[in-house]
Amino acid sequence: MTDHVTFPDAVQWAVPFFIAAILAEFLWIAIKGRGGRYETRDAVTSLIMGAGNIASGFLLGFIAYAFFVWLWQITPLNLGTSIPVIVLCFVLDDLRYYWVHRFGHRIRWVWASHVNHHSSQHYNLTTALRQTWTYTFTFMMVVRAPLILLGFHPAMVLFVGGLNLIYQFWIHTEAIGKMPRWFEAVMNTPSHHRAHHGRNARYLDCNYAGVFIIWDKLFGTFVPEQEEDKVDYGLVHNIGTFNPLRVAFHEWVGIWKDASQPGLTVRQRLGYCFAPPGYSHDGSRDNSEQIKAKHLARHPEDRGTPGFEQFNTAPNVTTANRA
Amino acid sequence: MPLEILLILVVGGIAGVTLLLHLTGKSRLHVLTSETAQEQWQRHFPDDIVIDVTVAHDSHTALVRTETGAGLLWSFGADTVARHLREFDWLEHPEGFEFRFHDFSTPRVIIHLDETERQHWQQLMDPA
Repeated sequence: MTDHVTFPDAVQWAVPFFIAAILAEFLWIAIKGRGGRYETRDAVTSLIMGAGNIASGFLLGFIAYAFFVWLWQITPLNLGTSIPVIVLCFVLDDLRYYWVHRFGHRIRWVWASHVNHHSSQHYNLTTALRQTWTYTFTFMMVVRAPLILLGFHPAMVLFVGGLNLIYQFWIHTEAIGKMPRWFEAVMNTPSHHRAHHGRNARYLDCNYAGVFIIWDKLFGTFVPEQEEDKVDYGLVHNIGTFNPLRVAFHEWVGIWKDASQPGLTVRQRLGYCFAPPGYSHDGSRDNSEQIKAKHLARHPEDRGTPGFEQFNTAPNVTTANRA
Repeated sequence: MPLEILLILVVGGIAGVTLLLHLTGKSRLHVLTSETAQEQWQRHFPDDIVIDVTVAHDSHTALVRTETGAGLLWSFGADTVARHLREFDWLEHPEGFEFRFHDFSTPRVIIHLDETERQHWQQLMDPA
């Protein structure tokens, strides 16, 4: 039983707003001559990915929902559906989003689902809709389990998750520079999320927040957008297709090709599935740490600046002796 | 929201945006020069040392020779995509060459070359 609690499917109801906002952004760019770029096939691919995301929700959403209902049946807790509980659920679900998103960039199995969101070299409101078709296969729904076991109703958890996604729509734009300082300090903004979409070495693996940027500040993954390092959108190795099927499945195919190579150990095969993107058994590829290190070898002046804090001291083998 | 309304919104929205973008000239391909081709290559492969760049007459493809081998850079909508020429096949094509990469995310590209370019590019790709 799910106690007959119902919440609207917020994402579906937001579709007219998405279309209107895309038209408004396009007009803004056309009139002002700045604030972003649009390209026909890129935008169409993004929109088809968004439609496919909704379709995959219809087709596969029952798997996650059945899991949540089962959790709801076994938990003795029920926090009800009051406004404060919904607000608390929203905040905790945003923390859940932070970690799922971070896993999405650091575990190749989850990256295979999320990569398509980063596969455009553009950054506009259609990019926000370039969403996964294969999220169910990542099994990241388990990260929501604690919320339901704590007594948040599954329908409420899905509702606040939808609000989270709707919030993230408007931050996929170059038309807005910076928001007021207090807002930039607490909330995820177009500026913070532009950095997240950067393929520049500086911006790799940063700003995983959904709504509240405080999670990145708390967990050490915040990198502010730098005026002198303009964000270059897309993937480290950009894809050369607008075919939505290839966009949706290319990393899964890549995992299969890599992990099924002959002569690998079990550990190496697992590495191709679950290690951070860029893993290779023979060192022929670079992960984000290696990309950052190579960047610093070319640009030592960037050492210790935002995005390179982990390299803030030059390698020095005599440090221990001096201590 | 009723499913039929959602379908109309999604299909109508995609069709409308497509039409708007195409009619306002947003389907134009990126145009390459020798300088921009080299810049774009360095954007894709910042570790590479470029030896020389040969841009096709249509300005949409460039053959880039680097210290570690040749590569292909081509217009991809308003942007570019680049690949080192490893794990690929190339075929004669009435318009020039067709490159087939062994890469699900970048299956193939047809490059437009005239007769003189075709021979020149063949030599550049296979100097032996």
